[in-house]
Order: sequence, then C-alpha cells, then structure tokens
Amino acid sequence: MAGDDVLVRVENVVKYFPVKAGGLVRRTVGHVHAVDDVSLVIERGKTLGLVGETGSGKSTLARCVAGLLPVTSGRVIFDGHDITNLSRGAMRPLRREIQMIFQDPYSSLNPRRRVGSIIGEPFAIHKTATGAERKRRVQELMERVGLNPEHYNRFPAEFSGGQRQRIGVARALALRPKLIICDEPVSALDVSIQAQVLNLLSDLQQEYGLSYLFIAHDLEVVRHVSDKVAVMYLGRIGEAGPKDSLYGQPRHPYTVALLSAAPAADPDTAAARQRVLLTGDVPSPISPPEGCRFHPRCPKAMPLCSAEEPGLLPRAADAAADTASGAAPDPARAGALVAGGDTHLTACHFPVAAGENLAAAGSRELA
Amino acid sequence: MTLLEVKDLNVSFSTADGVVRAVRGVSFDVEAGRTLGIVGESGSGKTVLTQTLLGLTPGADVSGSAIFEGTDLLQLRPDQMRRVRGAQISVIFQDPLTSLHPLYKVGWQISEMIRAHDKSVSRKEAAERAVELLRRVGIPKPETRVNDYPHQFSGGMRQRAMIAMALSLEPRLIIADEPTTALDATVQAQILDLLLRLQQESNTALIMITHDLGVVADIADDVMVMYAGRAVEKAPKREVFYSSHHPYTKGLLESIPSSSAAGERLRPIAGQPPSLINLPSGCKFHPRCGYVFDRCLREEPGLRPVDASGLHFSACWLPAAAAGLSAEAEELREETVLGQRGEEAAEVAAAAAAELGRPASEEGGA
Repeated sequence: MAGDDVLVRVENVVKYFPVKAGGLVRRTVGHVHAVDDVSLVIERGKTLGLVGETGSGKSTLARCVAGLLPVTSGRVIFDGHDITNLSRGAMRPLRREIQMIFQDPYSSLNPRRRVGSIIGEPFAIHKTATGAERKRRVQELMERVGLNPEHYNRFPAEFSGGQRQRIGVARALALRPKLIICDEPVSALDVSIQAQVLNLLSDLQQEYGLSYLFIAHDLEVVRHVSDKVAVMYLGRIGEAGPKDSLYGQPRHPYTVALLSAAPAADPDTAAARQRVLLTGDVPSPISPPEGCRFHPRCPKAMPLCSAEEPGLLPRAADAAADTASGAAPDPARAGALVAGGDTHLTACHFPVAAGENLAAAGSRELA
Repeated sequence: MTLLEVKDLNVSFSTADGVVRAVRGVSFDVEAGRTLGIVGESGSGKTVLTQTLLGLTPGADVSGSAIFEGTDLLQLRPDQMRRVRGAQISVIFQDPLTSLHPLYKVGWQISEMIRAHDKSVSRKEAAERAVELLRRVGIPKPETRVNDYPHQFSGGMRQRAMIAMALSLEPRLIIADEPTTALDATVQAQILDLLLRLQQESNTALIMITHDLGVVADIADDVMVMYAGRAVEKAPKREVFYSSHHPYTKGLLESIPSSSAAGERLRPIAGQPPSLINLPSGCKFHPRCGYVFDRCLREEPGLRPVDASGLHFSACWLPAAAAGLSAEAEELREETVLGQRGEEAAEVAAAAAAELGRPASEEGGA
C-alpha cells in the first residue's frame, strides 16, 4: 500500500572503493568509504534533494541508484524490482526508466555529434523509434525543452551553456523515464539561465509526473526544487526531512553550519546572520572518524560523540511534532523511517534546539 | 582616498570571427580599505577588465586610463608592470589548483614570490616569512606544511595558500577573481571571513569579481554590475540590492531562488547574453528586457545618476525615480514603457515574454 507512493527504496547501501598501492603487485591497502549505510526513499512525482559538500558521497550514491556503479552491500529497489547489481542485460529494460542529467553540459555532450543524434541516441539504443519517426520525436523534445527544432543539425559547440543543459534534459526525457537523477544540473550556469532551467525541470515534473533525485551544493536551489531533503556528510546522511521542517528547524549542527554559511543575496540578512564557522577540513573518507563522523569539527561535540555513532532517528521535538500533526504512530512506520519520508530525522546525540546559538558555542572565547 | 581610478576603459580583441568588444567604456574608482564587488555573468567582461589593468591581456586593443597611485597602469612597459604586479597589486584566481605549480613546494612558491621582488631578502628569511604567512591565513602546523606540495592541500587550504602569496608583499590592492567559486559553502564562508579580516588589518583595497550576488551582499562596500562589457549599474551595496534601477540588476536579483517564496516559479531573464562580436543595437540588454521601449533600440544609455547622492548610477533610459521594488517604481516603469513603446519595441518585448512563457503554455496544445 505504502509501497505505491515509493518509486525508489535504497536500503543500507554501502559503497567502498579500494585504495591500491604497491609496484608490480597492486594490493588493496584500504577503502574509501564513499557511501556508508545509507537508506532513503524517493516518492513518485516528488523531488528528493540531496545536499552535501565535495566528497560527501552524494554523486556516488546517485550512481549507485542509477545502477551505474555496483554497490558493496545493501539493496536498491526501483518500482518494486530489486535492481541491486543486476547484470547489464537484466538492467537494460530498466535503464529507460532511470535517466541522468549531469553537471557539466560541455563535457557530457559528444562534441562531434549533432544535437539531433545526441537526443535521438536513446531511441536508437532501445530501438523504440527509427528514421523519420525518430527525427519527429527528437524535434518534439527540442521544442518541449525550449530549443529551436530547426537546430536539429547543429553541433553542441554552437549552443550556449544553458541551451546545452536543455539538450541534456531533452536526452534524459526521451524515453519518458520515471526517475531523473539530476547531478548538479545548474551549478555550471549563470543565475539568470539557472532559473530558466529550474523552471523547465519543474514544468516537466508536473507534466510527466517525474520523480527527481536532485543533487546540488546550493542550498537555496535545493530548497526551491525539493519536497524532501537529505543532508550528507562523509558518506552518511546526517539529517533528513520535509523541506520546511529541515530548513526551518535544522537539528544537526552540520546542517546549521551549512545553512549559516550559504551566501544570502541580501545585505541585511548577511549582516544579521551569525556564521557557524567550522574549523578544519572534511576528514579523509579512507579512515572516517570514530563515532559521529562530524564530531572533530562539531562545535557541540561531547565525549559520547566520539564513542558512539548516533542513529538517524526522529529527535525529541520532531517526534512530538510528528505525533501532534496527527500521524498515527503505527508499528509499520518504523520501517518507513528512512530519509525521504515525512519524518524529520537527525543523526546527532545532541541535536540543536530551537533558538540555540551555535555561532556562540563555536567561539567560546568571545562569549 | 582614491587608490585606483579607471577612466573610459575599452578592451577589444581581433579574432578570426571579428572584433570581440570585451570591455566598453568602463570607469570606476577604488578607495583604500574598501571592497568593490564587480558582478556579472560569463562573458560580461569582468575578468578581462581586471586582467587588462594588470597587463595580462597581450594582443588586446586597449584604450582609456587606469591611474594607480599616480601612475597610469595602461602605459607601463612589461618590466615596469612586473614590479607593480604582485608587489602593489596582487591577484587571487578562481582555481587554486591551476594557479599553484604542482612540482614545487607551497612554501617555496611563496618565498619565490617574495624574492622575485626583493633580492635583498635571503632564502632563509623568505622561507621564514612563508611560514608566518601560512600561519596568518590559518593553515594549521605551518612549519611542516610549507614543505607540502599543492596536491597535499585541500581546496580550501590551496586558496588560503594563494591568499598568503597575494599578501606576501603587502599590496595596496588585491584583485580576487571568483576566489570562492570552486569551494564548498562552509569553506567559502571561511575564506570570505579571512579576506575581510586581513583587509581590515592592513587597510588593503579589494576588488571582488564574482557572479554570486550572495558573495557581494556579504563583503562588498560598493557594487558595479556589468553586462556585455559595460557597467550598467554602480552604487553602494544597499542601493544595488534594495533600490536597483537597471532592469538587468533587478532581473538578476529575481532569478535567485531565495528571493521568491519556495514552490513559486522563478522569474528568469529571457534569452541569453549577446555575442560580443555581434552586439545588439542601442542598449545591449534590450532584447532580454521586460521594459524595452523605442529609445532603447536606437541609443545606448550611459551611466546616469539615479538619485541626489551622487553615488548611484544606472545605464538605463527609464526615469531616475523608477528605482527599487516598490509599487510606485513599478508603476512608473510601466507608464514609461506604455507611453514610449512603439511597434518595433513591442515586438521585441513580445518575443522575450513568449520565450519565458514557452515551456508552460505551448505544450498545452501539443
């Protein structure tokens, strides 16, 4: 029953990359813990935003969901089918349902092929349309994404960045997928063009009932497009929940820091804001810290944080709000408590309370 | 005190496809201890502008003047420019990985910078100063980190090293060209904070080139908005954000997701920036402008004062009072446009409007 609203279910997915060393005989000396035990759901017709900094594992997770990378352990369920580590042949019919839009519209389009052939390629691969029919459908797609269909025979170099990203969108849309994974789709674009592409993505979602897994590092963009948001840090989800709840009352100190660091295009907001300046850099994912992965940089870290890893759970105030809002606490929901659901989840032993000033906690000498 | 005074700067490049007019008639001042934010999209000329000041655009056709502490930078011979560049004006580029030499230790690169300008400094002294500089920009354990290669630094640390290098000779002016664009938000916040603190410590002037209005809102004192090689609006920061006059500035502000309520449609600017080889007639923004009227097609406006302060300028034919986001200003804009929009301008406006509406409206019939 509940499964009907869920298009993708990611269960405890782990992805490690071996680190090799040695001369002639390469041996594995460690692993990059790119994604470490992540569970989430993507609902039909909805957008799950995935936020995180460089190296947080968000792109790796997206590639695991798309079946482009085999997972180390865990399961990926797409539309009721277990697609975990399927063979290429078995995966092929499902490939048309999951498409990707990449960040860089310059390197994700073959410069030597004409636009018509780039957008028409999915039809050729899946043998769904040929000849004049293919051309007609490609031109329809071009029109749909706001490109001039007469430019069918042009090369990518003849288009601007924003137009190229529209080509990428048209190609992703060609086979009428159910899920489009957008990996930083607008971060290479200028703001005025970025807004055009975001509007296009939102129109297409309404029209075709698409689900998006939307990855970006720009928190305002994610807030604009997403229904639910998950924040990743060093391969794990630190916090997840419905957009308004997560942005309105962030509970994880990392989310608070991230939100306070995001530049606001408003001088008064910028001046009034107290930044939570994190010290140091993200630790190496080869040997992530013990306990909570954020504890070495956390202004609230306590001894417990380095000893025990906090679970991704509803934390005090959120759980209360959740029951108060009328959601029945039925046992079946326990399984539904993963990122992307309706509940605000936080992986922190000492979540940030409403009105708590982390900026002050971070600079105690000033207080 | 005015540190740098740029007047009527023009830069163009001859290419096989025609003359690229990258910067056209830009004038501005930079005061000591203040930050000028130059905002614009790709191809607006913001980078060419500052690189020209530093003599980094060989082969360009340059006219105008740029008086820096009494000398015209544009008249300097390459060897004279070398003494200014780095010592009195230093630059921080966007990508710290490509700006650092991968085969030399970070500390060595900083010492080299010091010794290149002052031979009297011994190697040992220069190395010590490199450690001090790295400490000043917040690199932990600088004594050991000076012996690292750039690839051993994270992105944020590399940018800190670049800043250390830029500071090494205590320049009067620092030009930062998208210094945080390649960095994550939390690291960006650290770097902006660092730049601000260092600027206050040494009263350095800063030119911050960025496409990110958030960065400008954060650290600029004055803002210059560029479009197609021209300054279209120039004002103290608050005026630009709260009572912008030029429709391009307004469009940029409205394009940002944060400015509209979540879930609402964004209001992008129609079309895309023009080719710098084939510029449109009249105001270069007119094909994308919602307030286009006849005069805009024929005559290019120069910067004109918007208010009595003498600080806020805009290059737009709309009346000066039509500034800001208030209802009266909007009414005044609409009135002007309706009164002066002929057939030709109406067509241009209709094309831009159609483009913005296209994805939503046309599909209904398809």
